[in-house]
Amino acid sequence: MRIRAERDDLADVLARAGRAVGTRSPLPILQGILCEVDSGVLRVTGTDTELTIRTTLEVEVLEEGRTLIPAKLAAEAVRKLPVGAVTVNAADGEVEITGNGPRFRLRELTVEDYPTVSVGGSGGGAAVDGDVLTRALAQVGVAASGDEARPTLTGVLFENEQDALRLVATDSYRLAVRDLEGVEGVSSTLVPFRALREVGRTIGDQKMTLDLGDRDATFSSDRGTLTVRVIEASFPNYRQLLPDSYPNRLVVSRAGLLEAVGRASLVAEDHIPVRLSMHEGGVELSVSRQEVGEETEHLEGAYDGEDMTIAFNTRYLTDGVSAVETDDVIIDTIDPLKPGLIRGDGDPAFRYLLMPVRL
Amino acid sequence: MRGGMAEGAPILHVDLDAFYASVEQLRNPALRGKPIAVGGGVVLAASYEARQFGVRSAMPLRRARQLCPRLIVVPGDFSEYGPLSERVMDVCRRFTPLVEQISIDEAFLDVSGSIHLFGPSAEIAARLRHEVKDETGLVVSVGVARTKFLAKVASRVAKPDGMLVVAPDDELAFLHSLPVGLIWGVGPVTEAKLAQLGITTVAELAHTDRRTLERHLGPGAGAHLHALAWNRDPRPVVTHHRAKSVGAQSAFGGGGHDRGLRRRVLLDLAERVGSRLRKKGRAARTITVRVRFDDMSSVTRSVSLRAPVATTPAIASIAGHLADAGVAESAGRDVTLLAISTSNLTTSPHLQLELPFAELLGADLLRAGSAQERSRQGLDEAVDALRRRFGKEAVGRASLLLQHRRGVPDEFRDLASKD
Repeated sequence: MRIRAERDDLADVLARAGRAVGTRSPLPILQGILCEVDSGVLRVTGTDTELTIRTTLEVEVLEEGRTLIPAKLAAEAVRKLPVGAVTVNAADGEVEITGNGPRFRLRELTVEDYPTVSVGGSGGGAAVDGDVLTRALAQVGVAASGDEARPTLTGVLFENEQDALRLVATDSYRLAVRDLEGVEGVSSTLVPFRALREVGRTIGDQKMTLDLGDRDATFSSDRGTLTVRVIEASFPNYRQLLPDSYPNRLVVSRAGLLEAVGRASLVAEDHIPVRLSMHEGGVELSVSRQEVGEETEHLEGAYDGEDMTIAFNTRYLTDGVSAVETDDVIIDTIDPLKPGLIRGDGDPAFRYLLMPVRL
Repeated sequence: MRGGMAEGAPILHVDLDAFYASVEQLRNPALRGKPIAVGGGVVLAASYEARQFGVRSAMPLRRARQLCPRLIVVPGDFSEYGPLSERVMDVCRRFTPLVEQISIDEAFLDVSGSIHLFGPSAEIAARLRHEVKDETGLVVSVGVARTKFLAKVASRVAKPDGMLVVAPDDELAFLHSLPVGLIWGVGPVTEAKLAQLGITTVAELAHTDRRTLERHLGPGAGAHLHALAWNRDPRPVVTHHRAKSVGAQSAFGGGGHDRGLRRRVLLDLAERVGSRLRKKGRAARTITVRVRFDDMSSVTRSVSLRAPVATTPAIASIAGHLADAGVAESAGRDVTLLAISTSNLTTSPHLQLELPFAELLGADLLRAGSAQERSRQGLDEAVDALRRRFGKEAVGRASLLLQHRRGVPDEFRDLASKD
């Protein structure tokens, strides 16, 4: 295999596909990145067997073929070459990477040992605006769990909700729901957030397609394809947690609330909650920590309901309010021990349900 | 050393000599002057006569009998020890309110505010020893020094039935003359490590480069021992301090390879630890289990949790996993002791609640805010309340109640467990 390409283009496709290569893979072969050349196109594939990313680049083909090279090293080597054209030549167990003087000769990995990975869906799939999807994934992703002991909660649920695609995630402390209007033909699938986090930065583009199968979920664009093994478990029934109406409603400025919680967090650290005492005319925020001190402030706003104090973890609250996209944020509550609902004023597409901290 | 010199040595370490064994000899004159041991499967305490044969506490009884064939073993009447210990502490409090009891048979006293009332600290120590003997018949040894550390060392040197005053001017000379094993915190393992470095006396320890000690003993222990060897110990006598950890342990004569037995022992320990945590209104984020083997070596395993726990089933379940991991390293040795320690304690009852999903979301025992764990909290609270009202035996877990009576009653375990 022998190709020539611009340094920046080549470094880009290697780095993006390389994001699927795990740093602690049990199989040394998976530290490699697969490069295949035919019909004027270089296809770069990285995988950890669960997540596979493929990127493509039109290159000057000097000789078709394929090779397997150490992913991180190859990507860094190309990136650090002088700007301009780079030649990659794989022959006799070695891969030579040269450009404007410097020459790397890297040991080739055994390409025959590389696992067969499935890339790409069954075809078809749902069209989706890539920017909207990426933003929506970030909004619900904050609520996904990082706890591998509870695999079900490390995923984002994709499902049809009337004419919309609905994304749902929960770590059992909070639940985020985002509806994307006009995306149809999606079957209910649980996709690891670990992989979704990569969608935007590896293959994100304006026009994307989404193909959810029984085993794999595939996201594709002109920039490449990301395929991930779905989580084969049923997502907990979240609908029963979303009441139709709430007796208490607070409406405050999103920016003002974020700043206030930011100040409270200075005193709170992670495990001390911020108290929200809601009353007519707004909300009193307060936090106090033994042996450190306290912070209090009043935030103007509209409150409709019984005077009530509820406490939230500052980080969870910040996550939810940050995800809101409107100027004003609504916090609906029932009582101090039941979940509160955070959303944007006038934006029904995103909802963030947050369980309080018992004082 | 003269009493007058002790003006600047206001700390007393009061230590009852062979406490449980002495109480037994006091109660039964036939046992006086004889080698006796209190205990069941293991020696909990040995009289001085037995110690001359090499009998030590925590030793398996079988081994103790090999060392001392004439050893008289008594089961002990544990209901006696607590009240007697309390009477000794009452005597201590006559001389100063600053009494820090560190176990059932030991306390530190700060008498700096009492010297104008009772005379120099050496006189206070002598009077205290006399009054304890007079009123309880028990013998205490007392070390007197400027720091807690040195007072403790002095009482060890003074034993049995003695007192030793270390005047401020004599501190280093006294300390440096001692073998390292007398330093508080130097056990057989550390002693062996130091011996490998050619260090057997405190003087040698003091004159070893601190970095060398840190390299061989770990940064914390190395620096700590070096500081102690130069008598740097700034800890004050504290009469009431917030516990940093709550723990309990249980020694058994054998059979520790039986997982079922271990589970029951751990459940019992978790119950004791959990009820004490709950009584204090606290919860633990870190659970540590220590497994000791029949060759006296031990392994510890610990885990830090996202949310603090205080319920018996949660502590027992986590401890069970940790103990299994520890036992996996037994390499055929039998388990002779299990201990649970909870630390990283939170005072705040703040609890991040979980969304009330109907489904079990897995590993819920580890999560204090889950609906399931919250219902266990309700059960524990009910059990605690019943026991407060009707006593410990009023209610218990079936898996523990159906067992044979244990060798050591709970009353004693609670006395021996240190917060």
